[in-house]
Amino acid sequence: MKQAIRALTIATLILWILLIVFAITAVYSVMNLDIDFGETQFFPSNEDVVLSLPFFINNSGYYDISELNVTTRVTDYNGTLLALSETFVPLVASGSNVETVHNISIDLNDLFMEYTEILFNDSSFELDAFIALNFAHAIPVQMSINMTIPWGAPLSNLSIGEIFVLSDNRTVVIPVSFENHSYFDIVGTMQLEVYNDVDELVTSGQTDLDVPSYYGYNEPVEAYSSLEDVLKLTESGKVHLVFEFPMFTAEQWITYG
Amino acid sequence: MVKESSEKSLIRKMVPNVFKAAVWGIFTYMIVSYLPTLLFPIDFLPFGYNQFFDLFVGIVVFFAVITNLFSGTIFGYAFSIARGLVMIIYFIVAFNGGIISLTMPMSEVTVNLVVDVKAFLTILVLVNLLGIGKSLLQVTNFLAKKVEANQLNQ
Repeated sequence: MKQAIRALTIATLILWILLIVFAITAVYSVMNLDIDFGETQFFPSNEDVVLSLPFFINNSGYYDISELNVTTRVTDYNGTLLALSETFVPLVASGSNVETVHNISIDLNDLFMEYTEILFNDSSFELDAFIALNFAHAIPVQMSINMTIPWGAPLSNLSIGEIFVLSDNRTVVIPVSFENHSYFDIVGTMQLEVYNDVDELVTSGQTDLDVPSYYGYNEPVEAYSSLEDVLKLTESGKVHLVFEFPMFTAEQWITYG
Repeated sequence: MVKESSEKSLIRKMVPNVFKAAVWGIFTYMIVSYLPTLLFPIDFLPFGYNQFFDLFVGIVVFFAVITNLFSGTIFGYAFSIARGLVMIIYFIVAFNGGIISLTMPMSEVTVNLVVDVKAFLTILVLVNLLGIGKSLLQVTNFLAKKVEANQLNQ
């Protein structure tokens, strides 16, 4: 009996020491875990815009971090899924550091086809981030962050000024203005067609666009036409604008007069 | 006269236990309360867990005092078993059954954290059960010795 009691005493003592040492070193390791986020960057890639979130983990603790999984879900204000991205880091070993980038890719063409209004009106997106990891190969940890990302419309406040004809009676001047509230520069072409109040085509023209992020565009676009067509111009009508950029194509009808 | 001498003998028996209980109480307090606050800042624990920590210190110090105060008696072993059971309940409640959920507001965003400590909690419960098993064996040994002594006296 005495030997059994002694054996149990030693076993419980050893187990308590191991548990306490694990608890202390685990807390110490968490305190020494250095997680830094770099500057979020937006950059165009083919037809996509990529939101790049660089992050850095310096694990100077005693335990490994394994199966680190970062998942982000971007939804619009209605909850419709726009983008789903995942980054997996198999292991951040004890005493090592990992530098990686979580990229959220959004197909702008698809996005603007479905949600044309976000081209012309500022809006916001919901970003849900889920981070899952395994601490010390024994303690699963899950973290979720919900945040709202403001969206700046690339063609905000698009408007047409007063259309007039130059003295040569052949050149129609269409003042076009908009503000690029988006994170990216817009470089491409703008085609426009002017229709009178009975939907007859008066003239059409094209101009190149190069509007940096957070800059405005306010330029008169000149369109050449025959005298016969210029005479069709009425005080009010519609302008059909077609924007072609490497990342997306968009069109809009605007009334004038 | 007999009553007075038995009281004196009881006091004589109790004095070392009181001294031992006081020393163990102070020692336990230093180990479970003072030492961790030296190692880690007190605000390290998330909101609500400070109270759990204070309760843990209270439970551990109380049972360290009471088991030493009654050591050498059956009550000492009974309190030892009670400590094991109380600790099991405490750990299950403090660790929320193995899933700790925390909501931390950070500047403009809210971070929800879920830590699965089921494995750690299971080991804690098993170690306490092992302690209870040890106390039960000690009680059996204590009672066997007492019966043996009584039989020898007869």
